[in-house]
This record gives sequence, structure tokens and C-alpha cells, in this order.
Amino acid sequence: MIELLLIGIKVVVVTLIVFALPLPLTYIERKVAGHIQVRLGPYRVGPHGILQPFADMVKLMFKEDIIPAKADPWLFRIAPVIAMVPAFVVFATIPFGEKVTLPILNYEVNLYISNMDTGILYILAIAGLSVYGIILGGWASNSKYPLLGGLRSSAQMISYELALSFACIGVVMIVNSLSLVDIVKAQSGWHWNILYQPVGFVIFFIAGLAEINRIPFDLPEDEGTLGAGYHAEYSSMRFAFFMLTEYVAMVSMSILIVLLFLGGWDGPAFLPGIVWFLLKVAMLIYIIIWTRFTYPRYRYDQLMSIGWKILLPLSLANILITGLVII
Amino acid sequence: MNRNHYNFDLNGLLKKVFFVDLIQGLFITFHYTFSKTITMKYPDEETWIPYKRFRGLHTLNKNKEGKELCVGCELCQKSCPTQCITVVPMQDTTGKGIADRVAYRWEINLLRCMFCGLCEDACPTEALKLGREYELAGTSMQRHLLTKEELLAPQAVPAEFEGGVIVKARLGTDETGIKVVPDMSVQKRWW
Amino acid sequence: MAEQIFFFVFAILAVGSAIAVVSLRNPVHSVISLMVCFLQMAALFVMLRSPFIAVVQVFVYVGAVLVLFLFVIMMLDIAKAGMERFVSGGKLWVIALLGALLLEMVLMISRSRLSAITAPAAGRLTGTVREVGEALFTKYILPFEVVSLILLVALLGAIVLGRKELR
Repeated sequence: MIELLLIGIKVVVVTLIVFALPLPLTYIERKVAGHIQVRLGPYRVGPHGILQPFADMVKLMFKEDIIPAKADPWLFRIAPVIAMVPAFVVFATIPFGEKVTLPILNYEVNLYISNMDTGILYILAIAGLSVYGIILGGWASNSKYPLLGGLRSSAQMISYELALSFACIGVVMIVNSLSLVDIVKAQSGWHWNILYQPVGFVIFFIAGLAEINRIPFDLPEDEGTLGAGYHAEYSSMRFAFFMLTEYVAMVSMSILIVLLFLGGWDGPAFLPGIVWFLLKVAMLIYIIIWTRFTYPRYRYDQLMSIGWKILLPLSLANILITGLVII
Repeated sequence: MNRNHYNFDLNGLLKKVFFVDLIQGLFITFHYTFSKTITMKYPDEETWIPYKRFRGLHTLNKNKEGKELCVGCELCQKSCPTQCITVVPMQDTTGKGIADRVAYRWEINLLRCMFCGLCEDACPTEALKLGREYELAGTSMQRHLLTKEELLAPQAVPAEFEGGVIVKARLGTDETGIKVVPDMSVQKRWW
Repeated sequence: MAEQIFFFVFAILAVGSAIAVVSLRNPVHSVISLMVCFLQMAALFVMLRSPFIAVVQVFVYVGAVLVLFLFVIMMLDIAKAGMERFVSGGKLWVIALLGALLLEMVLMISRSRLSAITAPAAGRLTGTVREVGEALFTKYILPFEVVSLILLVALLGAIVLGRKELR
């Protein structure tokens, strides 16, 4: 009984934290963008603009929810939810740290909701589902730019999911398990996978950027040519759901990179594991934001040729070499 | 041509493989992240004082003895392209003005004024000047109908002040509109 | 008990969405129903103590195949496609044929040994990936390789068909 209760509490806590995370992330992203461009970023709402995300949230809540007259009303309404659910469901199998003992109850708690035997596969499979929200949102808007965004998104997702999964296989071969907890445990004591799988790490990072639609691969929402792309017709909370999905996807991709390649919660002993874990995740999120405001966007044919002609052969070669070394 | 084909650019390939250019780009933006920002914190903390040539809100000047320079000649009214100035002259022997003729009414409708400065050029006694106040947004139409008394009051930026600087400021909003109060003691240039 | 309730929820949703796939007018709605159907199938695989197959089902069918479906169907003229009838008037004999097929399948299943299996083998949710892998690469190595060869041939065929200069 207490097991079930604990799982329920964990689900609620993780969902609430993940739901709240986009608030500080939008603020951080805008601040970093501002300072990279020698500006200040948000500054007026609260000290140093710290309350800006709350102001934005209130604004989005009270905006009119516009559904275009020729849109497919049912799909248009449901698309943001389809996009959002997989982004949250991914967290079901993500471990955040080792076991901790609750201070008062003296009860050991695992810092994950479930340790699935097929951890990575599950995450990759579910993360791939969020593309449906983007495609359907683009299609249901019945407007040319969102449709182009949706089409780009589906082609991009299929191309880069291959490289992303193949980059994981190297790690799985070394660790001999698909479970994320086992993968992190195998990396303890500075045996981080980035040292053994540098090519895999680079491929995973690049394909991951494409998977979560971040610059330099944010073609589905290309402001320059598509005018916000797949969510061009969305407003109010439905638009907010798409934004939420994007930031949650960024967090989960950073967490996945940390778990697979950067040793998870492994680190020098003077700080607890969870702190190391959060530090690494924060660093990766910062790097993703940093790249966004450094690089221009790739053209669509460049995106495809990078995916199919460089990343895919490289990841296959990586698997081959890893296999040879293990034998 | 053919020779070039076989000439293998190892340096360039290594640069591509190790993302040298991309990482250089990252360092450039990282450097900018921690460099000084150029944003002017208008209107909460800073405001811009324009140069002397700026054409802002009108002022009616007095001479050193405190006498009104305006002689009510109505030249500004006649030169105004939008006819936003109304001047009614009167005889005055009390010594309020520099001559025995002063303006009884001198009114301007800022809603119509386009700040062309022709009135300033037409003024024979240099009584009328376009000053440096530019925060003219207001909540009522009445605020933009200014009379002689309001225009005679000295502006926040003195006429002799050179301008072209950022000064400390404070945002003060009252029921009539927005006012940014400059504090001339702290000055800086933004470049 | 709880497991049975979940089974019925998933099963009913799966059958219902499968019916929706063929009965909905809008092709995009059909694809969505197919996605729902596949997800319910994945859930049923989990209930059969085979999470690996479930995840592969989501990964391959929902994550890749259906996205390609959508990619193609989004190009269709939906208004025109919605007007077309699935079974045009002259082909009503198809329905009769399908009914016969259904009857045959029901008969086959009722007579087969499948109904003899009552309770699932004492299943556990861990270690299945390793078992699947070992079975594939030792006991079933020949079928596995043959399947991969067939897939390779299909892949090459697709590339040949897709080449422009061949006509």
C-alpha cells in the first residue's frame, strides 16, 4: 500500500516540477539571449524582470483562444495536448539520483518513478510521439505555413530519430543494459561514457537538438521563412502548451544526455549525487540556449544531408567500432 | 584544376571534424554574454538628454532682468503651418515685458503641432524656443492645450545645457500623464 | 481483478479505434485512430508481460511508420478523399466475403489450442530484453537473418524504384 502511495506522490511531485520548469527556463533563455546580444533582456517586471514569466503566463491565460474558421476543430483543439502528453510521460522512467532515506519516516525511496527494463527504448519511443502534436497542429490549422512546418517536422523527426537511437546503441553495448539506472551505475567512478563514446556523444547531442526543434535545426517553427511554423495559428493557452512542450523536451533531452554520457549523478563526493545531476542538467540546458543564440539555422536540404549522409553513417561506424573493441 | 582535386585539405577537414569554427563562435557569444550591455534603462533609471538642436516642447523665455521677451507680434501664429498657435496681444505699461506690448494670451495646441520650428525662426526677440522636453504623452486632451503661464515656467533641462548624455532619471506618473524626471547630477555617455 | 479491468479498457479502446480507422471519412482522423489502436496494442503487450515488444510497437509503428503515413496523407485533398465511398454500390459482395472470413477466423480460434491457455505464465517485467535478444541470436538465428535479407531486398527495390533516371 505504501508503495502505491509513494508512486502516486512521486508522480505528482515530478509532474508539478516539470510543469513549473518552463517558467524559469523562459526567463533564463530571454536573459541569456539579451546578454549575448549586449542587451539586458526582461528588466521591468519585478527586480531584474524576475516576474516576467508570471506576467507572460497571466497574459497567455487571458488571451482569446482563436480557432481558424477553416481549421479542423477537433484536431486543432487536441493537437497541443497530444504534443504535451509524451513530453511528460517520458519522465516516468527517468532516474534523478540514488536511493535516499526519508528523514522522519526512515523509509528508503528510489529517486525514480519506475526502473524499466527497457528504459532508453521507452524514452526514445515516447519522445518520438510528441511529433504528432506538431504535425497535427500544423495540418489542422488549414493554413500553408503551419502545414509546411508540420511536414518539415515529420521528415526531420524520422531522419534524426535514427541517428539518435543508433548513438544510444553504443552506450547500451558498453553497459549491457537498457535500464537507465544500470547505465548510470556502470558509469560511476569517472567511467563516463563520453570518454568511451565521444563520437556517440556528439551524434546524440546534434540529433537531440534536431529532435527537440532547437536552433540550428528548428525548421518546423522557422520564424524567418514560415512565420512561427506549426503554431502560427495558435493563441492563448494552446500556444502555451506548445511552448511548454518545447521547454520540457529541452529538459528531458538534457537529462537524457547527462544520464547516457555524463555519468548521471556521479561526481566528487563533497556534494550529494542529486546536486551533481542537477548541475550537469543545468549546464546542458545553458549550452543548448547558448547555441541557439550563436548559430544560424540550417537550410532544409542541409538538414537532410547532415542527417542522412553524415550522422547516420557515422553512428553506424560507431556501433561497428564499439562492437569490435568489445569483442 | 585536376591537381586541386587531389590536393587534400587536411587542415580544413580537421577543423570540420573537431567543430573548430563552431566552438570559436560559441566563445565569441560567451564573451558578449559577460560584456557590458548598452541598453539604456529608460524610463525607470536613465533618460536621454537631447542636444541643443532638439525641437521639443516650446518655451517662452525671459531676459536676464526677468522680463518677458515676447512682444505679442503674432509672427509665430502667422508662420505656423498647422495653425496651432493663438496669440492675443495687449498693451502693458507695468514693465512686465521688454516693450509696452505683451501677449495677453499665448496658447498652443500640441495635438496639432508638428514641431517644425518655424515659429522659433520667425520670433524676432528670441522669446520662443523649442525646448528639450519630449515626454508629451498624456491621458487627457486638456493636457495638450498649453497656456502662456505653463510655457513661461522653466523646463527641467536648462537651455544652456549641452545635452547628448544619459542622466539618471525617475519615472513619475501622475493623473495627467507620464513624466520622467531627470537628475542632471549623474551623467554618462552611452558609447 | 484490476488487471482484467485494464484489459477490457484497452481491448475495447483498441477494437473501437480499429473500427474508427475504417469508418471515419477523413483520412487524417483515420490515421489518428490507427495511432490510438497501436497504443492500446502496446498496452496489451505490457499486460502480456512483454514490455520490450510493447516499446518496439510504439517505437516502430507509432513513432516511424505512422508518421510516414501522415506525411503522405497530409498531401491529399482531404475534401475529395472524404467524399469517396469505401465500398461502392456494385461491390457489396465484398462485405459478404468479409463476413465469411470473420466467421472462419472465429471458428479457427475457437477450435485451436489457444483457448486451452488460461492463465499467463507467471510473468515478470524484468529481463525480457535479454531473453528476446538471446532467443533471436541463438535459437532463431536463421529466420532472423532471412527476415533481414528480405528487408534488405525490399529496401534495395525501393531505392531502385525511387531513382529518377531509371524511369
